[in-house]
Amino acid sequence: MAKTILRVAIIGGGIGGLSLGLALQERGIQADVFEQAAELTEIGAAIALSANSIREFTRLGLLDELAAKSTVPTELIYRHWQDGSRLCAFPVRDDNWYEKRFGGPYFGIHRADMQKALSGAFPAAHLHLGCRLVNIVQEPDSVVLEFANGRVERADIVVGAEGVRSTVRRWITGSDDAVYSGTSAFRGIVPVENLPSLPDPQAIQFWMGPDGHLLHYAIGGQGESVNFFAVVETPKVWLHPGSVAEVNEDLPVASFRGWHPAVTEMIKAAASPISWALFTVRPLLRWHRDRVVILGDAAHGMLPHHGQGANTSIEDAFALAALIAEAGTDDLDTTFTRYTRLRRTRTRKIQRSSQVTSSLLHLPDGPLAERRNERVSRVPDDFGWIHEYDVQQALAGIGCTPAVSPAATK
Amino acid sequence: MAPNELLDDVAATLAAIGGVDPAEVTPDRSLSDLDIDSMALVEIVVSLEDRFGLLIADDAWSQFTTVGDVLDHLERAGVGASGTTA
Repeated sequence: MAKTILRVAIIGGGIGGLSLGLALQERGIQADVFEQAAELTEIGAAIALSANSIREFTRLGLLDELAAKSTVPTELIYRHWQDGSRLCAFPVRDDNWYEKRFGGPYFGIHRADMQKALSGAFPAAHLHLGCRLVNIVQEPDSVVLEFANGRVERADIVVGAEGVRSTVRRWITGSDDAVYSGTSAFRGIVPVENLPSLPDPQAIQFWMGPDGHLLHYAIGGQGESVNFFAVVETPKVWLHPGSVAEVNEDLPVASFRGWHPAVTEMIKAAASPISWALFTVRPLLRWHRDRVVILGDAAHGMLPHHGQGANTSIEDAFALAALIAEAGTDDLDTTFTRYTRLRRTRTRKIQRSSQVTSSLLHLPDGPLAERRNERVSRVPDDFGWIHEYDVQQALAGIGCTPAVSPAATK
Repeated sequence: MAPNELLDDVAATLAAIGGVDPAEVTPDRSLSDLDIDSMALVEIVVSLEDRFGLLIADDAWSQFTTVGDVLDHLERAGVGASGTTA
């Protein structure tokens, strides 16, 4: 496919930004990615990739590289916070159940490994590190981007992919639409051998209890480490300027006092006295202004309880790339409106459902928790729509040519 | 927009997304009666937002129990005669 000279500047070299770079590349457009960090080092945490995003990378030929660094969970298990009993369980890797149902695997992977795989497939000359965006200037036929290091760039299209605290979004809406959820998390990555109390260490598990829950899954090619995310309903108000704050070293374990030993053992082993505020983005009617548009958490930051923040960013990226490639710079308002129409309903549903899930995961023992446990038994049917989604099919549904794998065209 | 026109408009949206018979849609009907669950309601809300160019906050729509609640909200938000916000 011929390369066009369309100048697309992507702000943010995280998973959403790099995915857009690759998605545009697939459609014959070479974009430039501007990342504020001086090095591409994702801070220590993992993500879960689900079939709805992995099918895009499979088509790009990245599946084996991702698989080599990932763990497919054996099962999805819901447990009681205190006695550890299995309240509900569903096969994932067992019987190849998940892949058979959703047409792609489910991976636990370290963010750094994910970022390495994506950036490895993107030309280094077009990945610009140490570029923190400070100003956007709208001109009649282009947009001028000013960076803190003095660099100035001109682009036809600017895409903000810099997460829930996006400065590009602020330029679009004129306000800060990030909202603190009243919940925060402790997180960490622990070698499996340091978790002797943990049953089913290769499963993805929710431990649900009063005012909190712990989620964990294994990562790495051999499932050698466990990544966890322990959520509490505090602090009520977030007073720190950023999303991360150091806390008293006893706080993470103390927040889960009385929970099953596997839970406290895991949090203690991580020895990470850092609290991560969970922010969402207030639903927005428009995701663009002029030549500037947003994707991923910048557009629809959500609670992570469906594990869909990164996955929906990837879907956004492939949808936006297709629509940009089809229309070029002609009538960008129509292109961006089509993109928003295609993506807003789905992401609003997942965002809302993640919010409801947060409260359901945090119920004290009692009749409400019992009703929740019955509801959990329907998880594969209730949430199958999240995982079976195929962004290329969705594009075809609005008359945009879907991408096809090179193998399929032979 | 006259009240009946707004009702017709909402009924058409409920029909398109929730598979409801538009003739069944009256202000006193409850959404759960019409088999509209919370995820279908999100789809309806986003569709109405796009139709009328206004945002319906999660705190607002999550309190909707009847068709009348949807109509009241839109009217209070100023959905006017032209079919857009006043």
